[in-house]
Amino acid sequence: MSKPEFVYTTYIETTPEQLWHALTSGDFTERYWFGHRVASDWEIGSPYKFAKQGKTTIGGKVLAFEPPKRLSYSWDNLSPDLKHERSSRVTFDLEPRGKVVKLTVTHDNLDEGGKTFRDISGGWPMVIASLKSLLETGRPLPSGISANTAQEHTNA
Amino acid sequence: MRKPEFIYVSYIETTPEKLWEALTSSEFTKRYWWGTSVVSDWKVGSPFKLVMNGTTTDDGEVLEVDPPRRLSYSFHHVLNERAKQEQPSRVTFVLEPHGKLVKLTLTHEGFAPDSVVLDGISQGWPAILSSLKSLLESGTALAIPLSCMAG
Repeated sequence: MSKPEFVYTTYIETTPEQLWHALTSGDFTERYWFGHRVASDWEIGSPYKFAKQGKTTIGGKVLAFEPPKRLSYSWDNLSPDLKHERSSRVTFDLEPRGKVVKLTVTHDNLDEGGKTFRDISGGWPMVIASLKSLLETGRPLPSGISANTAQEHTNA
Repeated sequence: MRKPEFIYVSYIETTPEKLWEALTSSEFTKRYWWGTSVVSDWKVGSPFKLVMNGTTTDDGEVLEVDPPRRLSYSFHHVLNERAKQEQPSRVTFVLEPHGKLVKLTLTHEGFAPDSVVLDGISQGWPAILSSLKSLLESGTALAIPLSCMAG
């Protein structure tokens, strides 16, 4: 039986370089990732983390760094109810398509039936939708989202 | 074994009413769906079809109409020789307001195992719905080359 994975594709009117910057710059992720800053020196094997208001929520290691085509890191959710789940993996593939970039997010190595899988399945569409809005309109998605939805994305 | 279906969720800064119009008005769909018109009178049981440059590519029947919340139609591809032999599948859009956003959930299901239609729509929907989001938020649809959808 295949391991569960989550794949999400979108198309964004931007350049691969701008999209790459949006994925790897803490100042940028903070704007569309609902306050979460990414930080790393982006060397292969180096640690990276996401932190919101100084509190680390997600961490792991850089697995692939090929600007502006492919970024991959391991994914450990540090919240107490998820610590026991295995480390999963996130990969971003950026492909130019005319004046548009095709972005594919693949989140794999997930636990069968785990909470991480449920959380990230709800979270990625929201984070990527906000990223697309920010790159195309200059504004991320408004924060007027329900508490329930906000909880979903916090865990992704 | 995983059910052969395709699910796609997006969040769009718009109203449910505008998004409903974008999904059901052929003038609107032409702008973000590679020139494709969606044609129906949107009564339950009425025919539905997609027409691209004068050629019908897909047809079906309207199954559910609950504006601006839920729209469902059966979906049968009629151009590709192999695809048109497949059983009709089912497309459902669910629109849910979340503050100033609308959560759009597309479910396309009811495929036979090894469906070629499932392969095709899995490529197509992310592009179509990405372009729809851009059009509603920025006023301009995406220029995604249709040739990129093959393979």
